[in-house]
Amino acid sequence: MTVSSAPPTARNAAYQQLVAQRNAFTLTMTVTFLVLYFLLPVLAGYNKPLMAQKVLGNVTFGYLLAFAEFIMGWVMAYLYVVKARTFDRLAQEARA
Amino acid sequence: MTFLLAAIIVAVTLAVTFWASRRNTSAGDFYVAGGRISASQNGIAIAGDYMSAASFLGITGLIALNGYDGFMYSVGWFIAYLTVLFIVAEPLRNLGKYTLADMLVYRLKDPRVRTYAAVSTIVISTFYMIAQVVGAGSLISLLSRGAISADLAIPLVGVLMIIYVVVGGMLATTWVQIIKAMLLMFATIVMTVLILNRFGWSFSNLLGQVEAKNGAEFLGAGVKYKNPIDLISLCLALVLGTAGLPHILVRFFTVPTAQDARKSVVWAMALIGAFYVMTAFMGNAANALLGKDAIEAANKAGNMAAPLLAENLFGGAGTLGGEFGLAFVTAVAFATILAVVAGLTISASTSFTHDIYNGVLKGGQASEKDQFRVARLATVAVGVAAILLGLAAKTQNVAFLVALAFALAASANLPVILFTLFWRKFNATGAMWGIVGGILFTLLLIAISPNIMKIDPDTLTTGRHLIQANAIFPLENPGLISIPAGFLFAYLGTLIGARRHTPEDDRVFEDMQFRAYTGAGVDGTVAAHD
Repeated sequence: MTVSSAPPTARNAAYQQLVAQRNAFTLTMTVTFLVLYFLLPVLAGYNKPLMAQKVLGNVTFGYLLAFAEFIMGWVMAYLYVVKARTFDRLAQEARA
Repeated sequence: MTFLLAAIIVAVTLAVTFWASRRNTSAGDFYVAGGRISASQNGIAIAGDYMSAASFLGITGLIALNGYDGFMYSVGWFIAYLTVLFIVAEPLRNLGKYTLADMLVYRLKDPRVRTYAAVSTIVISTFYMIAQVVGAGSLISLLSRGAISADLAIPLVGVLMIIYVVVGGMLATTWVQIIKAMLLMFATIVMTVLILNRFGWSFSNLLGQVEAKNGAEFLGAGVKYKNPIDLISLCLALVLGTAGLPHILVRFFTVPTAQDARKSVVWAMALIGAFYVMTAFMGNAANALLGKDAIEAANKAGNMAAPLLAENLFGGAGTLGGEFGLAFVTAVAFATILAVVAGLTISASTSFTHDIYNGVLKGGQASEKDQFRVARLATVAVGVAAILLGLAAKTQNVAFLVALAFALAASANLPVILFTLFWRKFNATGAMWGIVGGILFTLLLIAISPNIMKIDPDTLTTGRHLIQANAIFPLENPGLISIPAGFLFAYLGTLIGARRHTPEDDRVFEDMQFRAYTGAGVDGTVAAHD
């Protein structure tokens, strides 16, 4: 089995840019969402009074934080989709 | 009425299966529907694969009985898709053909890796499947009010799922997931609207009633999880496990491009997120309207909370509306179980046929016709094994099997996927150590954890723990220890195999990265690399 070496243009500027941008973006996003997500179990484990604190009527801080996690998930997915358009464009240039 | 609705669902899905069977002509059709599923269809199917009976019946019950702690499963299972979206979905689509092993072998060029990855897929799918099949047995017997015993329900589910997969392959399985996901979303939305209507369109009112019934602690954390470390370990396994689950990974090979893989994750996140948010309404409403005692009287684990809630919301027990609500939700739960088990079966049988039979035994030379035949035989074998294992395990506690599958996926598959994609020095020895070490170490931790080891009171007759002794390892979910250990095994294995690292390996890595990032060479010629 031989591996076809990539064409010379494969390592062009667009590709370098794609790798750098993509890595930086996904790493930042991943670290951010993991930190924000783990607020939930850490607070639920170590700060029960805060989680049980009523904020809006009977809705507790814990429920608000949990719902905020869902919104965070959707927002981060949206940001990624927007950013991915740049990646797609760079990938196309890199392949050309 | 339950039987009538369940029969209609089965009839429709079987019709789809036979329609799909006429479009299955090659092994690629069977494994991944020829890679022709659209992004939105695949997204809905991923959601269908993911929202198992454990999510629908299980979480509603957990929230109804434990309040806030139950909702944490919902959050973790949803957030896990960010890991899938950011890291796994697109490179996997760019590098793989039918299975996870394709991607690893593409980079590592060692046929032994294929065997290990296939074994890992089959082990994880089997644990997940036993849990679903056993759950199916007890649920169907429960939902039919004892008319169908678990001994009958387990083979029934098994046989139906074998038909879906053998006859219809991945195309039919995908459509069964889509139908089921739509039914489940519909049922959940209708129930949530009725709940909001009942509680003055206010979540605060709903929580107020829950508090009045159970006391303030029910709105806060800690009713179920007393030990914070246990909770953190569970959350880690949930959020990282999804990205290594074989039946989720296989779905990325059913779409044509990486862009479609990304879009399908986004579709899945929209549906799964909406669904899991609604579990907060359903669980709390079940508690407020039915009360803990009534839910526990029907089933100790809370599995009847959602069907009983539907009965109540549609008019109450004894009314025509109530009976319809109960029957509908029961039928949806039945469809859910069938669909999830079918999804697991196809990932296990694809791995066996493509990786072990064709890849290892036949050196990649098996004809399409042969693969097709073996894939169908493998499905029957997997199905029969699931039925037998399900019958053998039917009195065991099943919740730990699902958590176990997540921990296994996060500890054995995820480190190897990440190192394959991003670590230049990673090698085949590292992949084998990571997979084997991850699986064995996770299984060991589970075996000495309170899931298996516990002293039960003498009065308990069913669901006794296998080893009657105090647990050596304290955590119910081993993720906190086993996931870092999985990375460590893969790292150590890489160091041990490092002497064989050559400039050629560097070139292969760069080649793989180029393809993973850009999708070069993927379009239309997915078969080109082996």
